[in-house]
Amino acid sequence: MKQPDSIVFVVDDDSSVREAIESLIQSVGLRVETFETAQEFLRSKRPDVPGCVVLDVRLPGLSGLDLQRELAAHGIKLPVIFITGHGDIPMSVRAMKAGALEFLTKPFRDQDLLDAIQQALERDRTARQHQMETTELRERFDSLTSREREVMGLVVSGLLNKQIAGELGTSEVTIKIHRSQVMKKMGAGSLAELVRMTEKLGIPAAKD
Amino acid sequence: MKRNWSYRFWRSATRCLLASIAVALLTYVCFRFRVNLTIACLLYLTIVVLLSVSDAIVPSIFVSVISVLCLDYFFAPPLFSLQLSDPLDVVALVVFLGTALLITRLMWQRKRAEEALQKVLGELESKVQQRTAELARANDELRGEIADRQRAEEALQKAQTELAHVTRVMTLGELTASIAHEVNQPLAAVVTNGQAGLRWLALETPRLDEVRAAVERIVRDGNRASEVIQRIRALARKNPTLMVSLDINEVITEAVLLVRREVSNQGASMRMELAPALPAVLGDRIQLQQVVVNLVMNGVDAMATITNRPREILIQSQPHETREVLVAVRDSGIGIDSERADRLFNAFFTTKPSGMGMGLSISRSIIMAHGGKLWASPNAEHGAAFQFTVPIDSRDAS
Repeated sequence: MKQPDSIVFVVDDDSSVREAIESLIQSVGLRVETFETAQEFLRSKRPDVPGCVVLDVRLPGLSGLDLQRELAAHGIKLPVIFITGHGDIPMSVRAMKAGALEFLTKPFRDQDLLDAIQQALERDRTARQHQMETTELRERFDSLTSREREVMGLVVSGLLNKQIAGELGTSEVTIKIHRSQVMKKMGAGSLAELVRMTEKLGIPAAKD
Repeated sequence: MKRNWSYRFWRSATRCLLASIAVALLTYVCFRFRVNLTIACLLYLTIVVLLSVSDAIVPSIFVSVISVLCLDYFFAPPLFSLQLSDPLDVVALVVFLGTALLITRLMWQRKRAEEALQKVLGELESKVQQRTAELARANDELRGEIADRQRAEEALQKAQTELAHVTRVMTLGELTASIAHEVNQPLAAVVTNGQAGLRWLALETPRLDEVRAAVERIVRDGNRASEVIQRIRALARKNPTLMVSLDINEVITEAVLLVRREVSNQGASMRMELAPALPAVLGDRIQLQQVVVNLVMNGVDAMATITNRPREILIQSQPHETREVLVAVRDSGIGIDSERADRLFNAFFTTKPSGMGMGLSISRSIIMAHGGKLWASPNAEHGAAFQFTVPIDSRDAS
């Protein structure tokens, strides 16, 4: 259960509730940081590890829903778990639509909160993994020469070497060399893998 | 009246008879001892004087006349005749008659004066008695009126206390959601702390320090929830006014606990600037709390439409004019226009669609019953300030 590489942020204006949730989360071996206001949380320096936010809906000043919007606007993709003293349906619908992972009414079952936290951390970890892979792919793609990119685009669109050579007005041998260079630089083992990579990068196939 | 006249007639007649007998006796004695005219005159005069003094006017006149005749007949020469030879005797008899009549007249006048005085005194006494009776009656009436007034005042006070209670309960009704939250919050913390404690216990090596901390928090938060409930129960209860020595800052802080959630729900913030070490005031804790709650709620309502500046409630306390403490509740709302400022405190005056318009009216009557004042004024920049004074507890100062 030990996950020292992840962190849970708790934002609640009530110190009693804050302390209780902090203790509960610590009891399952997770790292917790608590904040009294949304502003305080936004100002804080968050470590670059998988995390999630446990957020009270009603906060003085900037409300929980406002904070959720604010995080999204800042490109912070931390999963949000809402807790509320008196959750009404429209409010929870709004929160869930805005991407909240869970909406719990106080007092909640400890297991519900902890499950939601685990799920949220998992989601953030996956998202981060995905993000990291995309970044790496982007770096690899950036290391390609413009000619190689051209060739790659045509390869993933399903053209044969010969066709590509014709398309680019060069010899088949040259294309072969470019192609193997692309496969090596991108770290792709097969054509199928290369196609998936371009999809991930969002590069459209060059030509039909 | 008739009887009175006949009584007086018979009395006079009797006296005349007795006086005649006295004159006869005197005449006999004087004649026997050959008393001269002058001495006889004096002796006869004595009878006249005695009669006059004893209020016998008619007999006195009667005796005077008889005496003159007797003196002339028995003592003035020629004797046994009504004729007079000596002119001196004529003078003596005229002087005698004059003197006798004068004495009679003086005595009569004296009597008349006495009677008049008596009459005036009598009238005066009866008037005094009458006036005294009137005063006593007026006094009784006044006492009755005072009692009536006291009863009316007591009834008014009772009605006001009841009205205060009703509006208090209504306010509590408006605050239900916020108050429920105020209780739910520590209860949620209690539940979560309990769950955390169980988890710390269930570890392979139980973390007793963490369990202890969790249990301590449970006790604290349980008490907190209970305090909120007690406070609400006190407000909901129908209590007779109870004037005690109070720390006004404590009253404010307790009232704020009940409304702070409502304030933040309305997107407003609340700040307190309480002067330290204020003298104790004499007041009813619940009613003063009610006033603070009313004023804060009022301020929050006044800020509902404000979007271009922060919605802020500021509560201040400070000493005021040596014998009073002043509390001000300021908001950054729409403010008050002078046209409406006077009507604000009227019963049933409201700007809110859902309001009853009793809040400010009842607040003012509560403060007035405490011997203080409640008034509204515009703030320097935005919004309104509602301020009230409460006299300090003089028993405390002495």
